[in-house]
Amino acid sequence: MTFFANFCIPFIVGALIMFAVIVIKYLSWLRNLPKKDWILIIKNIFTWRTITAVWEVVSESLLHRRIFKVNPKLGYMHMSLAFGWFLLIAVGWAETVAYLGFRWVPLQGHVFFKYFVPLNGITAHKPLFDFVMDLLLLFVLSGVAMAWLKRARSRALGMKKTTNHILFDRIALSALWFIFPLRLIAESITCAIYGGGSFLTGGIGILLSKSIGVEALNFVYEPAWWLYSTALGVFFVAMPFSRYMHIFTEVPLIFLRHYKLRPEAKEKSYDNFEVEACSRCGICIDPCQLQSQLGINEVQSVYFLRDRRYNMLQQKIANNCLMCGRCEQICPVGINLNTLRLNSRSTMRNIPNESRYNYLRGTDRSQGEGKVGYFAGCMTLLTPKTLSSMQRIFEAAHESVWWADKDGGVCCGRPLKLSGEVDSAQKMIDYNCALFEKHQIKTLVTSCPICLKVFREEYNLEGIEVLHHSEYILRLMKQGRLKVRYMRGSTFTYHDPCELGRGSGIYDQPRAVIEAVGELLEPKHNRKNALCCGSSVANTAINDGQQLTIASAVASELEATGAETIVTACPLCKKAITRGTQQQVADLSEIVAQSLK
Amino acid sequence: MINFGFSISKPRAIDIDRNNLRKSNEIIREMPELQACIGCGSCTASCTAGNLTEFNFRKVHTLVRRGEYQGAYEEMNKCMLCGKCRLVCPRGINTRGIVMLIKRKLGDF
Amino acid sequence: MKHVIVIGGGIAGMQCASELLRHGVAVTIIEKDKDLGGKIRNWHKLFPTFTPADEVLAEMRHRLKVSSNLTVKTNCEATKITAKRVTLSSGEELKCDATVIATGFTLFDAKIKEEYGYGIYDNVITSADLEQMFNENNVRLKQGGTPRRIAILHCVGSRDEKVCQRHCSKVCCVTGVKQAMELKEMFPTADVFNFYMDIRMFGPGYEEMYREAQTKHNVHFVRGRISEVSPTIDNRLQIKAEDTLTGRPLKIGVDMLVLLIGMKANDLNQTLVEECNLQAQPSGFMRAKDSFLHNVESNVGGVFYAGAVTAPKNVGESINEGTSAAHAVVEWLEKR
Repeated sequence: MTFFANFCIPFIVGALIMFAVIVIKYLSWLRNLPKKDWILIIKNIFTWRTITAVWEVVSESLLHRRIFKVNPKLGYMHMSLAFGWFLLIAVGWAETVAYLGFRWVPLQGHVFFKYFVPLNGITAHKPLFDFVMDLLLLFVLSGVAMAWLKRARSRALGMKKTTNHILFDRIALSALWFIFPLRLIAESITCAIYGGGSFLTGGIGILLSKSIGVEALNFVYEPAWWLYSTALGVFFVAMPFSRYMHIFTEVPLIFLRHYKLRPEAKEKSYDNFEVEACSRCGICIDPCQLQSQLGINEVQSVYFLRDRRYNMLQQKIANNCLMCGRCEQICPVGINLNTLRLNSRSTMRNIPNESRYNYLRGTDRSQGEGKVGYFAGCMTLLTPKTLSSMQRIFEAAHESVWWADKDGGVCCGRPLKLSGEVDSAQKMIDYNCALFEKHQIKTLVTSCPICLKVFREEYNLEGIEVLHHSEYILRLMKQGRLKVRYMRGSTFTYHDPCELGRGSGIYDQPRAVIEAVGELLEPKHNRKNALCCGSSVANTAINDGQQLTIASAVASELEATGAETIVTACPLCKKAITRGTQQQVADLSEIVAQSLK
Repeated sequence: MINFGFSISKPRAIDIDRNNLRKSNEIIREMPELQACIGCGSCTASCTAGNLTEFNFRKVHTLVRRGEYQGAYEEMNKCMLCGKCRLVCPRGINTRGIVMLIKRKLGDF
Repeated sequence: MKHVIVIGGGIAGMQCASELLRHGVAVTIIEKDKDLGGKIRNWHKLFPTFTPADEVLAEMRHRLKVSSNLTVKTNCEATKITAKRVTLSSGEELKCDATVIATGFTLFDAKIKEEYGYGIYDNVITSADLEQMFNENNVRLKQGGTPRRIAILHCVGSRDEKVCQRHCSKVCCVTGVKQAMELKEMFPTADVFNFYMDIRMFGPGYEEMYREAQTKHNVHFVRGRISEVSPTIDNRLQIKAEDTLTGRPLKIGVDMLVLLIGMKANDLNQTLVEECNLQAQPSGFMRAKDSFLHNVESNVGGVFYAGAVTAPKNVGESINEGTSAAHAVVEWLEKR
């Protein structure tokens, strides 16, 4: 039996190059994994984690379940291409087995089976396989049609904006678009000449033979298969260098993620799996407020990952991000977009400097004494209403409090981390840790979600419970130490601060506190979909006017709830939203202090 | 010793004619809003670092704009980037961005 | 007889109305408060001459003699204004031959600058509050007693992008100097510190007043904007600023802080733009047809402006604009 024809060469060469490049890439990434990542892999590989990973590979890499959740049309498009293509390969393999029994057939034999059937003198057809293969081809073609539509009119698929691609992507994309239509043509011509095929290839084949004639078709028969093979070959060569690298990369990524590998504050080899698993689907573009409010393109996560992958990342791109986490929350591949961006910033800007912040040594301006420590945060010093409200709350609950930074403290270190200066930030972390330890507090309350996040994630505070004031107030209320009046008729709306909500997962506590004092009206975007106020310390690229534009848009959404008072739980959000509205904006602590019994 | 805000050992004028303004111009070109500073001192007054050590953001960036770069990078390194100054600046200057820009232009990254 | 409606019965509106009456035009004044006089009713003395505001107001009332041609509608707001018709909040419609908008400005709400502690700490007051205290002859601390050290902060709600007020309110500098002098006269042993970004003494006699405040009254001027105010244990106020002239941070404990609140574009201007086809400047103040030759005319024929509706102005300028607007109206009516 022959399973070779000249037209197979582009396919074979392409496939060989593709597999070679992928293997080289994966091996070098794996080889460079830090030792502790390897330990994690070895520890977890022979556990149930591997099985759950297999299931996730099926549900995500093939079925694209998460994209379905975000956008069903887009989900169908991705699923039809990925799952459809996979089934074509799988059923195609079964088809060869059905025809030839279990025997070795080279790769091109499976892929171009329809071509080799008449060549090997097989005349009997298996209509069931013909039908299934046609159905699958139609399935894939419907996805291709949607991809065309998405390029032309992204709104038709529920996306305001789709990704702008680089040259390699365009080559691979064009090749991919043509693979299946060319396959349809090649197979239809074959059916026209040799018979077989089902409703699609067979049907088109009959139409072709009737309209053009078998003689003419014989003339284009070989070129059609050449074109199909070339499209495949071009796609395969471009693939490892283009966004389509995600097709394979998502698989090892899912396994590694199940083995608890994560990106960290500094770049490491594992990041490659995350970066190249990005399919550049562009789902991260629409939720980005820099895009929707300010019209800034080319900075969104998709572009950030692309630039990072091709080593062309610029500081102005890396810095222009609010780190609000709206994209990370929606990313169908679940890439840790914020962490990756942060470690890129760190690569660009981190300069260890031992003598930096030496001036911190020995300073202690804290006041008072108590088991509960209160760290207002730098920004809270500019919202004294929060401070005075917290003081009243502490007094009402008869809590003796150690005030860490009433007269100015040392920054928590998170702003510096957000700007990439990871090693220097550690100096502040160490300082504050020592300060908390020295005053022997058991609970640390802060009003600033930015501080909260770094306290929880980066500080080594053994024996100290870290609470945001919303959690602390709710606890006092539940313990009966804080009694508030329900103000009938008062309406509030709540703005979720990014660092508190998506950042620290605190959604319910502030809401419970608000509902104890009045009626809560939810804005259009809330909880994990909440908007960013625009004043994020993570962004050092946008200017004041741009911050104001975002704040005004957020404020008008909050105003639209009709609530009397806009409540938030972050000093920065409060300041930002106040700029965008005439309405009263209050910190959570204020409305509690106002309604104390 | 009383600190008068300037050093006795270097009694010299800011000589704009002799200073090389290339870096200063680059900084201003990249973030023209720096020129909007009216020297109100809000940034320095609210400064978390300035509360603990001698650090005056307003003075350092003004000197940089005049072409006086010596020590500016080291001074800017005292900044904790906490962002209070950006929140109080009446001219809406992106102060944190300025700190990073000056460090980038005068430092080694 | 021609009929003109003047919206706003402050000094600009009153002056405009009296001038129109003198020219034989019937006038209706629409005033949202219960009395005519506008904001000046709450002022104590006017810079730079320390003339009691009452005296000026009495003279304005005297000029606006009771006449059968004058109708004053108080407790009444206009919702829609065209040259020929004014709709009132009551739903009533008034016909006329021209309208003059003299609605003035809105005082900046100092609570928005939370870091200054207005509405949080007892002894943080605004310049308007201080005038009220002067009027009542009751300048004292909330807890009783007289202030021994007072800070006055310039530019609260002016020249501040953070509260979306880019413009200079023009009169606060001189008001701050005036109030400092009055405070020093009232409490000769007290220290008064004015915190400023720039001192803008634009009018006749203002600079002289500034000098007098410095040399005769020993008012301290610190060039730096206050960034934070916090309470001290003994119920005083701790202020942080940079003394920009020495380049060092400055801390000072005071008994009282006076915030010189700026003039904001009238909150009603938004309605004028949306409902009446009139144009506003980016600052929110209304835009005159041009700044030199037609500065009391609007972009709509027959609709005129007088006073601080177009920009921050002092009392004298506002009264002058009342006169100018009246003359422009008369000229316009003659052409009909």
